[in-house]
Amino acid sequence: MMTTTIADHRSKDLPMSRIRQDIGRVGETALLLLVIAFIMLPIYWLAMTSFKTPEKAYTTEIIFPPTLKNYEIIFSDGSVVVNEGTDRERGEVGRNMAPNVVNSVVVSGATVLIAIPLATIAAYAFSRYNFFGNRALLIWILTTQFIPAIVVAIPFFTLFRTVQFFGEPLLGTRWGLIIVNMSIVLPYAIWMIKGFVDALPGEIEQAAYVDGANDFQVLFFVSLPLIRPGILVASVFAFIMSWNEFLFALIIGREMRTMQVALMTTSGMRGVLWEQMAAAGMVVMVPIFFLALFIRKNVVEGLTMGAVK
Amino acid sequence: MRKKRWVPWVLVGPALIVVFATTIYPLLAAFYYSFQKYDLRKPPQFAVQLASEAGDPLISVDWSLLSLNNYARAFSDARFINSLNVTFWFTVISVVLSVVIGLLIAVVVQKSGLLQTLTKILLIFPFAVSPALKGYSWRYMLHEEYGIYDLLIDVLIVKPINLVIELINILPFVDITPVSESIVWLADKFWALFMLAMSETWGWAPLIALMFVGALGSIDTQIFEAARIDGANNWQIFWRVTLPLLRPVILIVTMLKTIFSLKMFDQVVTMTGGGPVRATQTINYYIHQVGFVRNLDIGYASALSYILVVILSVFAVLYVSKVLNRN
Repeated sequence: MMTTTIADHRSKDLPMSRIRQDIGRVGETALLLLVIAFIMLPIYWLAMTSFKTPEKAYTTEIIFPPTLKNYEIIFSDGSVVVNEGTDRERGEVGRNMAPNVVNSVVVSGATVLIAIPLATIAAYAFSRYNFFGNRALLIWILTTQFIPAIVVAIPFFTLFRTVQFFGEPLLGTRWGLIIVNMSIVLPYAIWMIKGFVDALPGEIEQAAYVDGANDFQVLFFVSLPLIRPGILVASVFAFIMSWNEFLFALIIGREMRTMQVALMTTSGMRGVLWEQMAAAGMVVMVPIFFLALFIRKNVVEGLTMGAVK
Repeated sequence: MRKKRWVPWVLVGPALIVVFATTIYPLLAAFYYSFQKYDLRKPPQFAVQLASEAGDPLISVDWSLLSLNNYARAFSDARFINSLNVTFWFTVISVVLSVVIGLLIAVVVQKSGLLQTLTKILLIFPFAVSPALKGYSWRYMLHEEYGIYDLLIDVLIVKPINLVIELINILPFVDITPVSESIVWLADKFWALFMLAMSETWGWAPLIALMFVGALGSIDTQIFEAARIDGANNWQIFWRVTLPLLRPVILIVTMLKTIFSLKMFDQVVTMTGGGPVRATQTINYYIHQVGFVRNLDIGYASALSYILVVILSVFAVLYVSKVLNRN
């Protein structure tokens, strides 16, 4: 009875609904293309500008002879002149960003290498042991993401001015930057890895305990190998966070510029040198694109600390 | 069960020491500084002094050096009040745009299909672009002479509007002024703030869309089928089915985005520099100016950042309790 009514209803206005469906499909495709344009235009435009000559960078032309000169300039030691003659007097010679890339890689890499092992064992304990304060500490870790970075930066700025490390103050060093980066990276890493441990069934561990393994043997030989993919995801996430970090890099890193801060150095007499900024921007964002694609499925859960499922 | 009681402390200990050292220590230190006269250009006079000579008491405290001056100053500081205003409007605009556009994107990409899947993959890209770079690229694209956004806004929005205005102006006794085609976006107080919020929206809306897509994915699709069989059209399904189901997620996402917007800093530096005339100076940006750029007034900067902490903690408490209730 029910099925016949639906069938009747459909057959009656079949041509009309088909046209409507077609319109709907075209509309959907148009909307999707609009979304793609919205997302990709700034990225595409930056990528294109990085291959433009200075003259073309100050136009909206999309057809131009591509050049790699901008990349050459941002990685040269000042010997490459942007525009022979005139611009040299304006001081628009090459600037070497290789040290800034090294700073970014070392700071982000070291942050990950220190934060992830600490986060892993802590996350395991939070997930598997019922100890006094477990829940309270987890809530604190969840809350730390709301502490504005500037509150962390101010006391560490004054502290690092005086605290010596290998004979020099920590302010303006990679170590200083790595220490303050912990404040944003570690809580996220603990929370993320805890999610992976929580998802692991406890029976395997129980079996290992029955076989006579102690707590540490269970952790390092049974559980850790099983959550290795989760540790990798958390590492990538932590790397992206510290790579894109700006406020600490500005206040604590100072002259030890990471790439984020070095972006600001691509300026000369004509303001920001857009073609060079674009090339530096490509160096900043393209590696992160690959990393972000790799952890695509976990970004939302990481960023919201599992609040949105 | 052989689990030993001391084991978890050994495991969480190292991480806790680092977390406390990098969060509790600065919170306490900044709190202490906020009651002090502490300007890096002058020799500090701390209320709490460690013994300098033998015979002195180990710690001496001079309570008279602690005062509420920094807080009192904040509420008569026109620039700080301005930054509260700027942050409020920036937060309102960027949160509303991010959540609404995020919702629209989610609805568009939600269905299965090749183009939909491709778009879903692309949604992650704006997240990967660092905020500092985002600010620079938007500033470049909004430039009144060679910016692609400026060109697109002129061709797709301003010109059609002016065409309509011209047509209306043919009528007698009607004279509407056409919209200016030469707005310098980042030199106009309102548009600079709006565009700053747009750049933030560009980064967040796709991410928020991903959150909604995830939430929609966990909803049983039978519910949509059922609504369709009952004769509901797409519009009705969106308002009567999708939106009510997403309500808890929308609430959480809105709170999360509000918290991030209140902390806005990076793009202000690279996109507008706080200008024009302080129209985009957010709280965070102003604190940075007070503490590290224009003055080196650590005491005052600490007090201002504590006001920011108090504002944020209201949302943080709401958010954390909401999240804990869900788990």
